[in-house]
Amino acid sequence: MSAPASLEVAGLVKHFPVRGGWLRGEKPVVRAVDGVSFAIRRGETLGLVGESGCGKSTVSRVALKLIEPTAGTIRLGGVDVTHLGPAAMWPHRQRIQIVFQDPYSSLNPRLTAGTIVGEPFENFGIAAGTEKDERVARLFERVGLRPESMRKYPHEFSGGQRQRLGIAKALALDPQVIVADEPVSALDVSVRAQVLNLMIDLQDELELSYLFVSHDLAVMRHVSHRIAVMYLGRIVELTETRTLFSMPLHPYTDALLSAAPVPDPARKRARRAIVQGEVPSALRPPAGCHFHPRCPYVLPACKVTDPPLIEVASGHHVACLRRPAGSDPVPLTPTQ
Amino acid sequence: MNVLEVRDLATHFFTRDGVVRAVDGVSFDLAVGETLGIVGESGCGKSVTALSILRLIAPETGRIVAGSVRFDGRELTALSDEEMRAIRGHKISMIFQEPMTSLNPVLTIGTQIAENVVRHWRLPWRAALDRAHEMLDLVKLSDPRRRLDEYPHQLSGGMRQRVMIAIALSCNPRVLIADEPTTALDVTIQAQILDLMLELKEKLGTAIIMITHDLGVVAETTQRVIVMYAGRKVEEAPIGALFARPMHPYTRGLMRAIPQLDAEAELSGRRSRLHEIPGIVPALTQPIAGCAFAPRCDFATSRCPVERPPFAELEAGHAAACWEARRVLEAAA
Repeated sequence: MSAPASLEVAGLVKHFPVRGGWLRGEKPVVRAVDGVSFAIRRGETLGLVGESGCGKSTVSRVALKLIEPTAGTIRLGGVDVTHLGPAAMWPHRQRIQIVFQDPYSSLNPRLTAGTIVGEPFENFGIAAGTEKDERVARLFERVGLRPESMRKYPHEFSGGQRQRLGIAKALALDPQVIVADEPVSALDVSVRAQVLNLMIDLQDELELSYLFVSHDLAVMRHVSHRIAVMYLGRIVELTETRTLFSMPLHPYTDALLSAAPVPDPARKRARRAIVQGEVPSALRPPAGCHFHPRCPYVLPACKVTDPPLIEVASGHHVACLRRPAGSDPVPLTPTQ
Repeated sequence: MNVLEVRDLATHFFTRDGVVRAVDGVSFDLAVGETLGIVGESGCGKSVTALSILRLIAPETGRIVAGSVRFDGRELTALSDEEMRAIRGHKISMIFQEPMTSLNPVLTIGTQIAENVVRHWRLPWRAALDRAHEMLDLVKLSDPRRRLDEYPHQLSGGMRQRVMIAIALSCNPRVLIADEPTTALDVTIQAQILDLMLELKEKLGTAIIMITHDLGVVAETTQRVIVMYAGRKVEEAPIGALFARPMHPYTRGLMRAIPQLDAEAELSGRRSRLHEIPGIVPALTQPIAGCAFAPRCDFATSRCPVERPPFAELEAGHAAACWEARRVLEAAA
């Protein structure tokens, strides 16, 4: 029996009720997350990729228990925390922390950087006074900030430095899991590289597990060991990063990969947009496979049958009726 | 033949913290039917350059303090406001990053396109609405007849950007300036919009200035590129040469900072480190004597922070503002 996963979610469902529909007696819901399962090992980065509204951010917030799941379980280091109330959850909060996308709005502008990063120590009664200051100073050094800058306010830092502050605060309680929701999307290219390198270094050193949420495939490819591709609340493909890029099996993954602009003029493609149309509303997702209205390879069965996420090859999970277990990873023939 | 010639353009903003030199002496040409990219990071002056060409800098915050913008031989900086209004949306059009904030929420799509056509072509309203219908067809919006009567909030982000393109192209402009046109869109929608823009460019012969921070978008859509840093043009090159042989250390740094397909690292299962450009961009409120990139540059020598490097062409059509450009080129080889 191997060590329990740092973070494991199974059958995760999150429906948000919306207003209206009361006349007919049924409450319409947005099916933001519709049955998502994955496990992240110690020291591993699982990338969660998908377009707006696919549910990737909701998954990250449910995993943190910032919002309660409608169904499913969440395990932290093997402990089921799904139904723990705020008080019972308290000790487990240290295990999982978050780094937000926007370092401008996630830091309190009225507090000094040192106070912000030191807050977790006070909240959890771990350290106070000089000891706290020393620990904060060590965190500053750890993320590449000068300890003297503890007295500065957030607005005195650049965007990249603010993201370092966010990382320092997330590290304060020595967590096992860090949920990073688009941590570098607001940063410019040159600064983004600094922050990504820091996150990779910290992971290697502290054996952190990352749930890394992003829409940027190039960033994802760089940081993730495995990647889960989401579409309308479901995982459609989950596998090792290099397999995903060399042998994508789900038509949506394929579409996503070929749509991303490649920074190499020599590899300019004639036609990149291989799927037409837009993502349907999560309020009324299409029956069967959610991707079927845009899929060039659709079969009649796809319109009625929910494709289960199955392991078609070792470690390679795909939810597509055209990719049954053990099938050869050959290119599909378009049906329309 | 050039449709647009920008010379030594300087646009300053006057703030409480001092004068911000947002554009600090930028020159470039745009040939008829060409796609030119302007790349750079936040605050490099790429958007302000575009707004300056169209004279859309709010006078209470800033103004063009020097330089010239010639469109078809006419000096735009010398035109009256009325003359300039006849050019905007007619001869030179612009589309922006966030289509929702550029469209009027209380007017129908049809009205917003027809308005532009009536203004510049002086067509009767009925004929202008026909033109609107034709444009929606051209940008491949499904069911154009029905869309004419819809409002912006009824459309998705990708559809709104198609409407923006329809408005911008409704009077057959000679130049289309696109400022991060796909940055707010999802990647599959981005691909559709970029494809559409390139297709329409071929069809209509409009020259495009594509402003973006995304090197992938530049690589896929443009023929020539200008790289800006701290309000200045630091490199200009045909697209292939820029990626194959970057001449300015900043361009070189940008190229190496983007995650690349690193086949070897990927096979061994190890993640490589990205190249970092140390430090941050300089504040534009202080005059910069030498090269603005010098404090972050691996190639810098003692003259770099004090003497501003001239813009020098080392290969045909490929130039950079760098004292050490030859060394940078050799490092790329």
